Amino acid sequence: MTAHLPETKRKYDLTFARWVSRNVHGGDKLNMCMQCGVCSGSCPLGEQMDYGPRRLFMMIRAGMKDEVMKSDTIWNCVACYRSEVRCPRGVPVTHILDSLSVVAVREGYAEAKNAETTRFAKAFWWSAKKFGLTDERLVTALYYFSGGIGEGIRKGMANQKIALRMIGKKRMHVGMPRKIKRRGELKKILAKAVEIENRNDAAAGEEVKS
Amino acid sequence: MSNGKLSSRTILVVGGGIAGISATVEAAEAGYEVVLVESSPTLGGRVAQLNRYFPKLCQPTCGLEINYQRIKKNRAIKVYTMTSVGKVEGETGNFTVSLNTRPRFVKANCTACGDCAGAAESEIDNPFNYGMDKTKAAYLPHAMAFPLRYVIDPSVIGSPEAEKIKASCTVDAVDLEDKEGSFEIGVGAIIWATGWQPYGAEKITQYGYGEVADVINNVEMERLAAMNGPTAGRIVRPSDGKEAKRVAFIQCAGSRDEKHLPYCSRICCLGSLKHAAYLREQYADAEIDIYYIDIRAHDKLEGFYQKLKNDPQVNFIKSKPGSIVRGESGDPTVKGENTITREIYANSYDLVVLATGMEPSARGEGSSVNLQRDEYGFVVPCVFEPDGMIAAGVASGPLDVSMSVQSATAAALRAIQAIAQGEGK
Ligand SMILES: Cc1cc2nc3c(=O)[nH]c(=O)nc-3n(C[C@H](O)[C@H](O)[C@H](O)COP(=O)(O)OP(=O)(O)OC[C@H]3O[C@@H](n4cnc5c(N)ncnc54)[C@H](O)[C@@H]3O)c2cc1C
Ligand code: SF4
Repeated sequence: MTAHLPETKRKYDLTFARWVSRNVHGGDKLNMCMQCGVCSGSCPLGEQMDYGPRRLFMMIRAGMKDEVMKSDTIWNCVACYRSEVRCPRGVPVTHILDSLSVVAVREGYAEAKNAETTRFAKAFWWSAKKFGLTDERLVTALYYFSGGIGEGIRKGMANQKIALRMIGKKRMHVGMPRKIKRRGELKKILAKAVEIENRNDAAAGEEVKS
Repeated sequence: MSNGKLSSRTILVVGGGIAGISATVEAAEAGYEVVLVESSPTLGGRVAQLNRYFPKLCQPTCGLEINYQRIKKNRAIKVYTMTSVGKVEGETGNFTVSLNTRPRFVKANCTACGDCAGAAESEIDNPFNYGMDKTKAAYLPHAMAFPLRYVIDPSVIGSPEAEKIKASCTVDAVDLEDKEGSFEIGVGAIIWATGWQPYGAEKITQYGYGEVADVINNVEMERLAAMNGPTAGRIVRPSDGKEAKRVAFIQCAGSRDEKHLPYCSRICCLGSLKHAAYLREQYADAEIDIYYIDIRAHDKLEGFYQKLKNDPQVNFIKSKPGSIVRGESGDPTVKGENTITREIYANSYDLVVLATGMEPSARGEGSSVNLQRDEYGFVVPCVFEPDGMIAAGVASGPLDVSMSVQSATAAALRAIQAIAQGEGK
């Protein structure tokens, strides 16, 4: 996904909705939404979201670009897929929220960059890419300290007991990080994935121009 | 049994609900011979199972009664119950149709005295009340049955009980030797009035039908409210018989949903409004919540909606609920998001009614016949090349009773035209 967010001028500006429809995975299905509320009503985290999917989708239609990009709804989605399964109009709710969060980070919104989920995802991806496996210890540490040294120490201390019990139960590995055997192959697979994504985005970009 | 008298001027009507009955009398009163076949033991169809009709809340039985009289008076009409269509061959003006009959085990001289039911011991799920209670294995489908004749359930045939039932009949109307049969007729046009079935609420898994106690569907609500229903008209909850005063209605349960029925079933909004009226009549302190996407009181029925909207004890909540679960107290609890206030709610009720939609019953049955159907399974007319196959009532789309009757009258005219065209060939 490389296309950049459009500039929006008026209060109810349709360019943002159009942009989402073309550049966000599953965004083309958003025009099917009939605001019934089954998504927000099915969400296990519904009460902890500032807007919830239904309202967020209406805000996209209303052109409220900044509010959407800064919302925590896109970060609090745990991808349980309940809303997506129940949506009577076939809107891929989970995919849209996920894809919006990627855009928000890329566009440099501070709320998105500092979101816990972003920081965790970064740590997770670093380990997955480097070792082909996630190292619980390193991922956790990287995530804890991504909010600064103070926060890292505080979180680490708070969860010490759990960590020790996990080590005791052989749920957390100590020593050198484990790695998969053919990391070169993994690199190639990831490079291919990036290539496919770029190609798809280029095609979507063509569509926008036409 | 072949019927030599029937000719290409005969019209076959399949399905004896309000649409099939109306098409039959209209065509017959225009001078055509009509054969009406019905797969169940009685005419009347689904409307016989309704408590009352919106918007005037009148009794469905009264409309049926008038039509039964018209059928009885007209010698051009032949009615075959427990009969369904096997094969259809030929073309407009000249069809050969094979009809299959199921045994009733009771002959036409039955006086409907009920002695056989008195003699029967076994009980079966009562189909009239959607299995909410039991009926004897020798039974009259319901008080408005046509023909007014008992039926013996095949499950007792061959047992000593069957002999006892036979012996109890003083006019010797029980025939335990009755068998399945089939016969052929020749007709010029066929009207399909096969109606609908309630959409299977158990398929909407998040709504807990069949899992959470006191979650019922709207056809069951009709039976609960009816004097001739399982509770003699008392609207109580099935689990413990408690009066159902706090009641939720869930609109579009299965309808307007790509994963279930993609179309609006058109009658369920008015159905639930009517049910709210039943409740308000029965319990002065009833509190009703109607969960909806948008209320569709079609046609000229907006006034009925407005009337209930003005009732402070009937609440409208704009929300398609996410789920229905068993609450801590055991009551069904509806969870979702109120889309106006953006509040996440979990509300408990005595009873939750799923406003399920109408699915064409012709979908499965009679599928051996090559009928033109739309993507939802409703029978559509072949406009450019009339093929003598005509649909009426809910077999043609989700309609209420008055629209079904209109479509039946139109179908009768179409059938007559098809015959005229056939004769011109
Ligand atoms: C909860 C609820 C409440 C409703 N309340 C109202 C109301 O208050 N007012 C109103 O106007 N409408 C109401 N309706 C709508 C109403 O029920 C329908 O409009 C009406 O039943 C349509 O009649 P029909 O003859 O087309 O179909 P049906 O009533 O379904 O009749 C079809 C008949 O065909 C028979 N049949 C089916 N297949 C075959 C076959 N292959 N061979 C032979 N026979 C066959 C069936 O046994 C049945 O007897 C309500 C619907 C629901 C779901
Ligand atoms: S009539 Fe009402 S409840 Fe039924 S499908 Fe249409 S909108 Fe939904």
